[in-house]
Amino acid sequence: MNGALALTIALPLLGAFLLPVLMRVSVAFGVWIGPAILAYGCWILGDLWLTGSMQPFSVALGGFAPPLGINLYADTLALLFALAAQLLGLIFWPFKLDQDSARRQALMLLLVAASTGLALSGDLFNLYVFYELTAVATFGLVAASGTSAAYAATIRYLILSGIGSVLTLFGIALIYGQTGTLNLAHLAQLAPEQLSNELGLAAFLSLLIGIGVKAELFPVNTWVPEVYATASSRLSAFLAGLVSKLALLIILRLLLLVFHQPEAAQVILILGILGVVSGELAAWRAKEMRRMLAFSSIGQLGVLFIAMALPDGQGMLAVLALALHHLVIKSGLFMLADGWGGALQRLRGSAAASPLAAGLFVLFSLSLVGMPPLPGFWAKFTLITELAGQTEPLYLMGLTVFLLATVVEAAYLFRVAAIIYQSAPQERRPDEIPKAGGLSLATAGLFGAGLIATTLLIAPVGDRLQTIAAQAQDVDLYINTVFPATPGASQ
Amino acid sequence: MIPALTPELILYATAIGLTTIGLAGVVLSVHLFRMVLSLVIAEAGVNLMLVLAGYRWDAVAPILTSLGEQPAMVDPVPQAMVLTAIVIGVGVQALAVSILIRIRQRYATLDRWEVAERMDADIAATAGTPRDVSQEAPLGERPLPPIPAKRVDPSGSES
Amino acid sequence: MGNLTGLLFAGGLGFMLLAIAGGLDFGAPPMLIGSAIQAQAPAETGATNIVTSVVLGYRAIDTLGELSILFAAAASAGLVLGRRHTSAGTQTEGGFILRTGGGILFPLMMTIGFYIIFHGHLTPGGGFQGGVILAAAFFLPLLARPGAKLHHSTLSLIEGFAGASFILVGLLALAEGKAFLQPLLIQDTLGQLFSAGTLPLLYLAVGLKVGAELASLLSRLAQTEASQ
Repeated sequence: MNGALALTIALPLLGAFLLPVLMRVSVAFGVWIGPAILAYGCWILGDLWLTGSMQPFSVALGGFAPPLGINLYADTLALLFALAAQLLGLIFWPFKLDQDSARRQALMLLLVAASTGLALSGDLFNLYVFYELTAVATFGLVAASGTSAAYAATIRYLILSGIGSVLTLFGIALIYGQTGTLNLAHLAQLAPEQLSNELGLAAFLSLLIGIGVKAELFPVNTWVPEVYATASSRLSAFLAGLVSKLALLIILRLLLLVFHQPEAAQVILILGILGVVSGELAAWRAKEMRRMLAFSSIGQLGVLFIAMALPDGQGMLAVLALALHHLVIKSGLFMLADGWGGALQRLRGSAAASPLAAGLFVLFSLSLVGMPPLPGFWAKFTLITELAGQTEPLYLMGLTVFLLATVVEAAYLFRVAAIIYQSAPQERRPDEIPKAGGLSLATAGLFGAGLIATTLLIAPVGDRLQTIAAQAQDVDLYINTVFPATPGASQ
Repeated sequence: MIPALTPELILYATAIGLTTIGLAGVVLSVHLFRMVLSLVIAEAGVNLMLVLAGYRWDAVAPILTSLGEQPAMVDPVPQAMVLTAIVIGVGVQALAVSILIRIRQRYATLDRWEVAERMDADIAATAGTPRDVSQEAPLGERPLPPIPAKRVDPSGSES
Repeated sequence: MGNLTGLLFAGGLGFMLLAIAGGLDFGAPPMLIGSAIQAQAPAETGATNIVTSVVLGYRAIDTLGELSILFAAAASAGLVLGRRHTSAGTQTEGGFILRTGGGILFPLMMTIGFYIIFHGHLTPGGGFQGGVILAAAFFLPLLARPGAKLHHSTLSLIEGFAGASFILVGLLALAEGKAFLQPLLIQDTLGQLFSAGTLPLLYLAVGLKVGAELASLLSRLAQTEASQ
């Protein structure tokens, strides 16, 4: 059964290769291929999640045992995010049918396959390959909207991401030149002797900036507002909700397994603080819904980086809770923005036009700000207790910034809520008031229902997250899972 | 204190020099196509760096020429990685060029700042908000020069 | 002024990187997995070219990802540049040498391309190198006669099935109870053309896919260029 894990990557790729051909033969048949493959992927992963023993396992691809071959590492954390990739791919599937739909659906399948690979892969260079695949598929999907602004945003994103991949490759070259291996578990064994020096730090910084491009890390996130404003809402939701978290997950794994220097954590902490400050202030200034959400997403990712910088993976639970919470909330908000895009002032009176959407917006906002008893409160509370327990002044500064950012967040979200609930101006006809409706409202409702369910089941969900975090934190478990019989002697 | 000029230093300096020149080119260029070309240079630099990471002076290419005792061979893994990285680079560059063609058709310019300004204007126009002053060129509300009437290409304006 | 700062910054960055990379032990890499692969690869994959056994055996999933990236780039370029191509009336036809030479070279390049693909497990070369030569062979007539068209539907057919067969060979191993992308049919005839089991098949798929992908990218760019 464990071998079937590779199918969750292989089948979407297979579907993507064949889709343009099959769509030419029969459109009616072709449109169901993508969703069917993703649904099957969900089924495989869900089955592993439910019936498995919750013990991590490793799958050697090609039958070559790591570290010589490439392995997929599946602990509960990786499985959770792989499942999220397939599920969100299904939810945000580009159903629209036109002459380009075969290509668009093929790119979406590639994006999902690459995201799954990012969650599961246990090899540094393999992660780079999947990372690039995510990037190229994203370029295509953003450019697919066909507006001039989308092309300009894509090329700017492409160049920034090109810088990122150059840096990532440079970091990989440094690591390989020093250690002679690429397997993460193998690196984790060798790191204390060989990578706890300037060279290791330089390699980490290269990888951090390189992978940080997708994780919306502070200096390399200029693409975020442009791309989210020009891409379709569904794609923005997928990118902001999932892909950024996956990039973050890779950095977290690298930090936990390979790079233990305190300087590494400090750099992340400082960049995280800068990200929170710049993101939240820009969101406060934004006059347009999607731009506001994009900047707010930068701020939220900054908070995640702060949580990640806690020493020895203590922030694991907080990172996990905040990441999942942000995944649900941002996806929901971007789906609402589908109907409510454009200037914020235009939204006056839209609560009366679509009360359900307005209610969902308030629900998401409250949880994002951290109103008890919504899940957002517990996620933020975990982080606050962890940060307050630290003695170093930099962490306390992180805590202060985080609390101030929450106030700013509340200010701009409730300002929008107030606009929505204002009565419509007299001179406007009812049909001019933007309505959120149809499929995107239903999708947002799905995320809202998930949020409410989590609120009701907060205790078991919290327990489960704690086990996942504990498992992901355990470096020895990682190494022993990948090299089962002879730990330490893997040559 | 100048280190001795060994072949080792020359190769590393080439790899890192190409990477730095490329990255500097991306940051300093004002023309989008030159930025893409700079990326190509930087990629060449890191690819050389990757090959160097597995190179041995006393070794031959990792291909068996006879059964039995083998001479020392260089590390095959970085070579495979470079092969992968080169192909990835080619794909990204081809995509970049095709997007550049479209931008040139639509905006009649490939100047980095002009494209950014027009993009911001387009985004603001779609959203119906007053334009945010561009983050990178905070010179106030500069009126955009009109797109020249005589386009470079009359046929490809809309696809 | 800004340029000067940029240059100084870049120079400083370069020196810092050089100083750091100087810490690497050049010319004597650790070769932790490298030497292990060298020792095991001939027996495990049956290929004398060890780079091939890494590309198609030990790191086959990387190769699959890379094919997907090429596919994604070609599909994206197709989305961006659109389908309709105006006829290339404006571009002048190639000269006599190019036209005649193109005609003569085409079969030769095809032969060399396929030779390199099929001997990828024995000699330097393989699917990528051969595929690029194939793409060049198909691109040459386009340079000589700008009006000529590549059959995009045929190309996308090759693209699709070549990529799919790479995965299907991998799935075949899974169906036999082995791991995904595990090499099959290894025989004990090292150095022969039919020695490396399914690896040459995989390389054939890679070569066709790379060739079709690059040919369609190039012709798309050339035809859009021609329409200007």
